[in-house]
Amino acid sequence: MKKRFSWQNLYLIFVFALLYVPIFYLIFYSFNRGGTMTHFTGFTWQHYTELFSDSRMIEIVVDTLLIALLSSLLATIIGTLGALQIYSVKRPVVKNAILSLNNILMVSPDVIIGASFLIFFTFLGFKLGFGSVLLSHIAFSIPIVVLMVLPKLNEMNLSLIDAATDLGATNFQVFSRVILPYIAPGVFAGYFMAFTYSLDDFAVTFFVTGNGFETLSVEIYARARQGISLEINALSALMFVFSLLLVVGYYFLNQYNSSKRTRKRQRLEATQIK
Amino acid sequence: MANTIISFEAVDKRYGDTIALNDINFELEQGKFYTLLGPSGCGKTTILRILAGFTSATSGEIKFKGQKINNLPANKRKVNTVFQDYALFPHLNVFDNVAFGLSLRKVPKAEIRRRVLEALRLVQLTGYDDREIAELSGGQQQRVAIARAIVNEPEVLLLDEPLSALDAKLRTAMQVELRQLQRRLGITFLFVTHDQGEALAMSDEIFVMNNGKILQQGNPVDIYDEPINHFVADFIGESNIVKGKMVKDYLVSFVGKQFECADAGMRPNEPVEIVLRPEDLVLTDVTKGKLTVTVDTQVFRGNIYEIMSHDSANNQWLIHAVHKATIGQKVGISFGPEDVHVMRFGESEEEFDARLETYEGEEE
Amino acid sequence: MKRFNPAYSFLYILWIVLFVIAPLVLIVYQSFFDISGHLTLANYQAYFGSGTYLKMTLNSIWYALLITLLTLLISYPTAYWLNQTKNKQLWLLLIILPTWINLLLKAYAFIGILSQNGSVNHFLTFVGIGPQQLLFTNASFIFVAAYIEIPFMILPIFNAIDELNPSFVNASRDLGATNWQTFSKVIFPLTINGVKAGVQAVFIPSLSLFMLTRLIGGNKVITLGTAIEEHFLVTQNWGMGSTIGVVLIVAMVIIMFVTGERRKKGRKGE
Repeated sequence: MKKRFSWQNLYLIFVFALLYVPIFYLIFYSFNRGGTMTHFTGFTWQHYTELFSDSRMIEIVVDTLLIALLSSLLATIIGTLGALQIYSVKRPVVKNAILSLNNILMVSPDVIIGASFLIFFTFLGFKLGFGSVLLSHIAFSIPIVVLMVLPKLNEMNLSLIDAATDLGATNFQVFSRVILPYIAPGVFAGYFMAFTYSLDDFAVTFFVTGNGFETLSVEIYARARQGISLEINALSALMFVFSLLLVVGYYFLNQYNSSKRTRKRQRLEATQIK
Repeated sequence: MANTIISFEAVDKRYGDTIALNDINFELEQGKFYTLLGPSGCGKTTILRILAGFTSATSGEIKFKGQKINNLPANKRKVNTVFQDYALFPHLNVFDNVAFGLSLRKVPKAEIRRRVLEALRLVQLTGYDDREIAELSGGQQQRVAIARAIVNEPEVLLLDEPLSALDAKLRTAMQVELRQLQRRLGITFLFVTHDQGEALAMSDEIFVMNNGKILQQGNPVDIYDEPINHFVADFIGESNIVKGKMVKDYLVSFVGKQFECADAGMRPNEPVEIVLRPEDLVLTDVTKGKLTVTVDTQVFRGNIYEIMSHDSANNQWLIHAVHKATIGQKVGISFGPEDVHVMRFGESEEEFDARLETYEGEEE
Repeated sequence: MKRFNPAYSFLYILWIVLFVIAPLVLIVYQSFFDISGHLTLANYQAYFGSGTYLKMTLNSIWYALLITLLTLLISYPTAYWLNQTKNKQLWLLLIILPTWINLLLKAYAFIGILSQNGSVNHFLTFVGIGPQQLLFTNASFIFVAAYIEIPFMILPIFNAIDELNPSFVNASRDLGATNWQTFSKVIFPLTINGVKAGVQAVFIPSLSLFMLTRLIGGNKVITLGTAIEEHFLVTQNWGMGSTIGVVLIVAMVIIMFVTGERRKKGRKGE
């Protein structure tokens, strides 16, 4: 809007540069013919072709996506049911107690979650691997789903449910025809957050993964400790594009939803004017 | 003119292509209670914001005691505002809210204390100084907002629909209080509202606005009795408006009949609009009435009966009657020549005033 | 929903019992066992008795404080000015976008940028300072940690400023406050909850960023998180690891309590 120069804009540009330079730096060197992240000697796709012929890496990517998809789906189902449960609790004391328990995993540091889950799985004699990683990811994704769905439930007008019941809907019909459509944006946001949590997680997975099963984060950590490998740069470029697509897709879906909401609100306000 | 404190000269305000204010001119005198009255979106709040310094005019001049203040920032202006949502700082208690402006100016502590308590006394909130804002009712918050503004001894107090969030009873009480407070303080109040009842009850002068323009300015009685056009007549009070023709001075025709009236100075046979206020219409026998109407509906309002009826030409007539009528029955209505108010199409306020002067002098 | 069937939320309750309560109980339980499986208080004696652990804890808290402070200093002005831009939601999204990039990739990028022959050293050589040891220093750890946490600090502050009723700013100006007075007496106090939420979101993870201490800090900085990881996955002394874990949990509870919103009853807008 303001085209004139201002210190504020300069500062914002500085912060954006700070945030993005490292990412573009990574991507830039993924095309480096020389094997280092310091001297750019020429353009090549070599690191990408290496990445695509690395069957171990591809297996890890598939595993990571599988964990993310499965864990976020299951976490969304359990979390939504949990939110409904919390919503239906009438006594404030009980409600706050459940909410506090729900939030423990939200605020706990990753290492604590990882370490305590490791003790838990070992205590049960559960074999570490795909199963333990999946269960852990479901476990730490549930609270975020609850936190996304609950506000939607709380802002829902109670007379909607009474009206549906009054019109002859059964409990299940009330749920599927009235509640679910209403909270759908929250459920969707919860699923998206759970998905990104899972993709992003390193510390918890690192603790509970055992030997023989790896996700991308764990693999990157292992390789990064050995030094620079431009295959990782190529991978990060691909992941950046993937995240970008996810976020842009999510943003536009949200915009669509919220513009629907705004229109609804405007209509509401119009009827309130005396 | 010596007492003029605020003046707007040819002020325009545009947001992109939308015109919020169109050629606004007015003057405010010291110590009077002014009201900007109009429907939402008419530009009344924009005038207030320009005067307070929250936004700037696109063109035109805003003067404070003859000095141009267009570019003076809000914190340097000797006006204070009572906000529609009160805007009381939630992190400060009542005392600190009221003391806010004084403490910024490094007024000595003891004097702050004295003046804050005095302001709270003025708005009848003695003893509330250490309450939290959230503990107060809407009406109390409103008084704190007023106290916070007047404690700075502004020369002009701007009030942006301060009563709109209150319930009807409290609103009426606050109208009286505000008016008394203004008289006691002797400073200029500029009050913004969309409630015509509020405007009529409180003001010395009313500016009626619509679509970014001031349509009419005058004291409440003038505005009510002699609305300048259809919009003002319709917006202020309830009215019956019918089309008619000015036969000659003091004679107008409508609904196929000719009636005496108190207006003059128009072209012969000029098409006009006629306003008749419902409380000026008196129910009578068909034979004695000047007009004959059929009663459609009747609602008892406690002090009056609100009667909707129609005449032979299908004009709707709203009558406030003391006595009951019978639905479906034909009744007569009568009114005096003074009750017939004639409005010309497209007449500006200046033309209206000029025309009135041409014949009103003769009567006295 | 008066008759919501509890059977549906069975899984949720099961989750609370198995994955919230049980692990917490187990980590406390585990902290009372030594490396050979004997019930003992030795871990706590070791922790409070030897200066090393206490010093490490203080060190970790000190670094977390520095990281939080640096993040806050960068984030508050960003959030504030971001709020004044057109399309602010889009810009905010761009601020958040990097958080969707895996944390390890960002850490990895800094290995390249800060390395002996990296771009920063190129620049330092260019301006005549000459190459410096940047990677594997305490400063690099703080900087990279702050880099990673910045979006988590900006977001809550941005939201707090966004929710701030513009009337408050107008009212303050109207009452004679200058820009700075408006900021210090109205805007900042009214957005302090966003700052608290941001501090919460940054400080606690900063205590436990073990991957950064390893990749960027070169094992020079030992945080509580590094110690826990070390005991669990390297030396296999789970008892000691759990003890430090319990300390971290206590620290977390204290932080939550200190920065918790002590809401005044019925405050407007809540």
